[in-house]
Amino acid sequence: MVVAVLSLMGIFVALYLLAHSVGLIPLICGVGSCSTVQSSQWAKVGQVPVPLIGVAGYGSLLVLAILGIQPSWHDSRKIGLLMLGLTTVGVAYTAFLTYLEAAVIHAWCVWCVTSAALMTLIFLASLPEIGRVVQRR
Amino acid sequence: MGTRVWSFHEPGVRPVSKKNRQRKYGSGEEAPTASSGTETTKFYWILGAVAVLGVGIVGYSVGAKALSPTVSEPIEMDGLDDPAELMQVARGVVKGDPAAPISIIEFADFQCPGCGGFATQVKPLLDAEFVDTGKAKFVYYDFPLVSMHVHAFLAARAGHCAEDQDKFWPYHDMLYRSQSRWSTVQNPAGFFEDYAEDLGLDEDEFSACLKSDRHADVVTANMQLGYQLQIQGTPTIMVTQGQGVGRRVTATLEGIREGIALLQSGG
Repeated sequence: MVVAVLSLMGIFVALYLLAHSVGLIPLICGVGSCSTVQSSQWAKVGQVPVPLIGVAGYGSLLVLAILGIQPSWHDSRKIGLLMLGLTTVGVAYTAFLTYLEAAVIHAWCVWCVTSAALMTLIFLASLPEIGRVVQRR
Repeated sequence: MGTRVWSFHEPGVRPVSKKNRQRKYGSGEEAPTASSGTETTKFYWILGAVAVLGVGIVGYSVGAKALSPTVSEPIEMDGLDDPAELMQVARGVVKGDPAAPISIIEFADFQCPGCGGFATQVKPLLDAEFVDTGKAKFVYYDFPLVSMHVHAFLAARAGHCAEDQDKFWPYHDMLYRSQSRWSTVQNPAGFFEDYAEDLGLDEDEFSACLKSDRHADVVTANMQLGYQLQIQGTPTIMVTQGQGVGRRVTATLEGIREGIALLQSGG
């Protein structure tokens, strides 16, 4: 359940960044320099804005988390494995993006750091449940 | 054949026998119970609240920007590549005697912390030594770094709205003094209007100016002038004598003194 709530928060953070990325809104940064990060070459993968990947990733996690609490899927090993795979990739990717901010772009985007923190929390929160389901059988 | 114990843990879900229940959840594990139904309901309420909050925040950000007539970014303008046309639109704000032989020119961004430091620490000393004594005039050009500072363009326009009421310089000082407050908010227009009120400007006139595209052409042209002068950061300070070419100097009192001394010695 915690994973679902955190994933939904992640969707909105990613949507906010995406709205900026397509020029709909200015980005309120507070501390750091969001625009420097958002206008860097790392803000897109090919033609795909990174926030769009975030929306898709958090959206998939939300769907899996909600499925996981349905009675018919409660103990699904498939969902556990999918969740493990997705959160692992998510944590690795956000860690990579955080590394880029620190070591390559030399600027911080507070919303990107928030997203990385959310993904880490999702990973940690889902570990016990994933472990329980994956170890069974 | 074991005893069948039926349990109803969710509406619409098939009853589960004790045997199946043990197979499914293991002997030492908790199966979903009636209380998990309550928890699920609570969970959906929390999820709904987060969804409403998120849709509200993102929707407000996008909607406010889409519906507002306030121009807060550079506009499309034809002909700015032509220096003659550019100079007809680009315009700095002058402080001091317009006939003073030396010009101290600044390209600045109201949201840039370095410009804030220059405006509050160096400029008062410059005014006392050069501007108030009639030795030089100070000319301020907008160069909002819009890729980094989301409110810089609107702040530049606000400065020109204050200029309409002959209060550019007090407003300039106010914006820099309070930079840390308005820079970090979602929409600084309310702050800009408050500052206008504090300085005794006609609030309605200022507000109408701010919530329009007025002066967006001047700010855009000033930015273009900066690009043509290959300005890359702010504050950039230049000193000139008469119609001579500007000499870039360090944005310190010493740097500006040296630059002016070199101009006067013909160096």
